[in-house]
Amino acid sequence: MTDRSAPEKHGISRRQFVQASTMAGFAAFLAACGTKGTGGSTAPSEAAATTAPSVTGVPSASAAASATPKPSPSTVLNFANWPLYIDTDAKVNTKHKTLEDFTAKYGTKVEYKEVINDNDAFFGTIKPVLEQGQDTGWDLMVLTDWMAGRVIRLGWAEAMDLGNMPNKVANLKDVYLNVDFDPTNDHHAPWQSGMTGLGFDSAKTGDLTSLAVLWDPKYKGKTDYLTEMRDAVGLTLLKLGKDPSQATRADCDAAIAEIKTAVDGGIVRAFKGNDYAVDLVKGDVILAMAWSGDIVQKQLEKASLKFVVADEGGMLWTDNLMIPKGAQHKYTAELFIDFYYTPAIAAQVEAYVNYICPIKGAQEVLLAAQPDIANNPLIFPTDATLAKLKIFKSLTEADETYFNTQFQAVSGA
Amino acid sequence: MRSTRQRFSFLVPYLLLAPGLLWLAIFYIYPGFQMFLTSFWTGTLETGFALTWNVDTYGKSLTQFGPQFLRSITYAGAATVLTFLISFPLAYTIAFKGGRYKNVLLFLVIAPFFTSFLLRTLSWALILGDDGIVLGPLKSIGLVGDDFRLLATPLAVVSGITYNFLAFMTLPIYVSLEKVDKRLVEAAEDLYAGPWRPGGAIWGAVVGFLIGALLALAFGYEPIVLGPLGAVAGALIGWFLISQAFLRVTLPLALPGVFAGTLLTFIPAAGDYVNAELLGNPSTRMIGNVIQGRFLTLNDYPTAAALSFLLMAGILIAVAVYARLLGTEELTAA
Repeated sequence: MTDRSAPEKHGISRRQFVQASTMAGFAAFLAACGTKGTGGSTAPSEAAATTAPSVTGVPSASAAASATPKPSPSTVLNFANWPLYIDTDAKVNTKHKTLEDFTAKYGTKVEYKEVINDNDAFFGTIKPVLEQGQDTGWDLMVLTDWMAGRVIRLGWAEAMDLGNMPNKVANLKDVYLNVDFDPTNDHHAPWQSGMTGLGFDSAKTGDLTSLAVLWDPKYKGKTDYLTEMRDAVGLTLLKLGKDPSQATRADCDAAIAEIKTAVDGGIVRAFKGNDYAVDLVKGDVILAMAWSGDIVQKQLEKASLKFVVADEGGMLWTDNLMIPKGAQHKYTAELFIDFYYTPAIAAQVEAYVNYICPIKGAQEVLLAAQPDIANNPLIFPTDATLAKLKIFKSLTEADETYFNTQFQAVSGA
Repeated sequence: MRSTRQRFSFLVPYLLLAPGLLWLAIFYIYPGFQMFLTSFWTGTLETGFALTWNVDTYGKSLTQFGPQFLRSITYAGAATVLTFLISFPLAYTIAFKGGRYKNVLLFLVIAPFFTSFLLRTLSWALILGDDGIVLGPLKSIGLVGDDFRLLATPLAVVSGITYNFLAFMTLPIYVSLEKVDKRLVEAAEDLYAGPWRPGGAIWGAVVGFLIGALLALAFGYEPIVLGPLGAVAGALIGWFLISQAFLRVTLPLALPGVFAGTLLTFIPAAGDYVNAELLGNPSTRMIGNVIQGRFLTLNDYPTAAALSFLLMAGILIAVAVYARLLGTEELTAA
């Protein structure tokens, strides 16, 4: 999801967030300037340095993946992720216990970089390199469903050797299997998920259960919509009784018209990224399209905030681990994914991140250690809730442009 | 030695110009040219772009985003007027009455710039919030209704722009006023250029009414309140504060500063998107927001580039007209 910021209780401020997104925007702009470039120059600089000393005669992990003798793990693994999206030491913010555990087990140092602030901006940095058939310098990257779909469609994701990944095969929750952009389940591995639904200040609104409140004149000027097209249009489709996982252009038009009535009626105060959560805390809005993880965080500041998956349904989105084409340490990346799919490790990450864990068994691990997290229905939703969630259809490029253009127009830009 | 120096002395101006020209070539002319070419591309991010000299983008951009263009010009214009109204008395006071506090006062004008632009704008969002420190008390004593809001209105956007660009207006005006020879003002006063009184009041009322009414229109409020309010304020200012000496000596000498300040405020304000993004609502989006969305969200580089050029052209025309009205002498003097 574009603009998703990290949990505020861990010390990111609005200022840092906005700066980060501005930097991301700037990076994307630079990337845009480089569309016609020769590539290579946008590859992460540290990667070139760190990938060089590849270990003990592993010629290339990707070449060796199909070979019979098991390759050994490399000395380094270059991992690109979003800010504060992994367990982090309370004092040293570059210290990540699970990564150290991985190093202890395999001897691989994880070069963990929080370089992804925006799907589009990050895509802009790897695109010119991948276009040239070169290595991006990353062995692992985390992309949201729709971007993952685009990368797979372009043939820029390595197929994982599931034979190296018994935990991933065994422990991925069923709801994530057989998505339309990766029917073979071997090009992506869900890292974290989130739900999109209603966020509201229950002290002002009472309990809400229907998406129709997002169009209720009672909350005129007190309602934020999300800037993320798939979330805003997705919730609108659900309100209209349509299925976002089957959205057509006609559905899109209907949803846009519906959103337009709310905009023209002055009901929508603003289209926001994560900032809607700040508005909710400040009281500038009392109702918003919201992401589950944000509300979990903000409840610490304002206990009356609630997140609800409405009766009509909600959206489920996932950020996925992927191995970019030509990655230097593909085998080690597979080992890492499999390592993360160990319930004990996933539980450690989950205890920090507070989005939805896609891994079976993590909840059981947490039940003993941190029951408040394990029992939080926003972090471990019930099966009944999960059944109400829809994943937005993977769009073709033409459809994506169509949907985005319509949505931009209705959101005022 | 001497002859060598003479032989090459003609190079000196070029050498002095070289760093500036190089800078301009690398960071303005080259990217500008690239962007010019980009605006004639067709294609998509995934399939790649190709230069096809497609001119339709310009027509489409202009018709589709007319309202946002108009809004940018209106908001930037309103903000420029407001910065002028705030800056001129401020700069005048510092220049003529500042005395030994001049430097302190000037420092205070610049002081906000020590804080990040974004942080300052976000602070406005806090201050103007529905239950913030401005509206909270007003609402609790019932002076404004519960539904009244400042944030997410055109007024908030224009206020944000005004605040963020204030120093760009104040400093050039101050520099011009500082250079005014006080003896000229004394001489004018000796020659009976005294208080303006009735004339000042009448003109002040007219100008005040126009400014008030136009600002009200720009903010989307009824001009019935702000117009008369402006008229009263203008009349009072004209009666008590404006003298013939000021009108005939000080003000004309300050015009180069006003001209420079106006350009420094209006041009960046017209392309601004941060204030509209953070303080506005969906119907206060400016052309900068559209360009940002096209570049970053839709990856529609050709349209974004075309819009940038249209904005540039629009501003150039506006500035040319303005320069023409204010006279070319001031241009060079500024």
